[in-house]
Amino acid sequence: MKVQEIVDRLELKGATKIFDKDLSGVYISDMVSDIIANAKAGHLLVTVQIHNNVIAAANLVDIAAIVVTQGKLPSDDVIKMAEKAQISILSTTMNRWQVATKLYEAGIR
Amino acid sequence: MTIEMKPRYEMVNVQLGYVIIEHDVYSSAMRSYFSAEPVPPKEEYREGKQIWKYSGMAQSFRFDIRDAETGEVFKYDEMLGLLYYGCCKKGSDVYGIGELAHDSNISLYVAITYEGPDGKRVKLSADKLRVLNRAFNDRLQTRGKKILILPDIFDLYKEVSYGEIMIDFGLTSLEGES
Repeated sequence: MKVQEIVDRLELKGATKIFDKDLSGVYISDMVSDIIANAKAGHLLVTVQIHNNVIAAANLVDIAAIVVTQGKLPSDDVIKMAEKAQISILSTTMNRWQVATKLYEAGIR
Repeated sequence: MTIEMKPRYEMVNVQLGYVIIEHDVYSSAMRSYFSAEPVPPKEEYREGKQIWKYSGMAQSFRFDIRDAETGEVFKYDEMLGLLYYGCCKKGSDVYGIGELAHDSNISLYVAITYEGPDGKRVKLSADKLRVLNRAFNDRLQTRGKKILILPDIFDLYKEVSYGEIMIDFGLTSLEGES
């Protein structure tokens, strides 16, 4: 499944450009160390964190895109960093659990 | 049919814990260490002429890397965390080199290590650094993308704060943020 399909299905807002990448799964975490240890390349990361180290960790493990929950919006610096790393940041007012259930309904396992 | 290649190097023995930061009450020297205790230690203690007092902590993890071909396990207990060039000051050497690397689709990180008993940073051996680079590059999927992890040749540990290193600093204050 492509990032754009998830944007459309979950009605997410793009805080960055939407980069055309395939999704291989989902990882939900708010901890940089957990993301580095356990997330996989191509995963969609669902988090409430908007710190630039989340982008650094996502880039290190080749995350395809990030969904930021609870209406949080990253700063311009973080948006620039994500775009440079070609990682889409998608925003929603839903919480992580709501996003998880919607992703499951969309067929992502 | 797609055949998934198993990477040669994999992260093993992942242990969650805390980076404990402390300072000597007399000299104000600072140091940090990893603790896997369920409750992070905050007690002040004496070590020779120094009294070490708790200054702060961050959630983090410790890991080894296993070479699936040889079975050899490389330990990374000396590693405090990685620092992404994009989180460094614009205009700094590391930022400039990181930008050059980025033009070639290489993402630059710097490995920051803990202090040894002599107060100096422990060096990552060339072999361990090579394995660390291989392990993270093995995990990548994006065609042409590369990760380059350098030792701290820039002495960044002297100027960066713990919050800039990729550890979970200040996470407990998350719920208070708007």
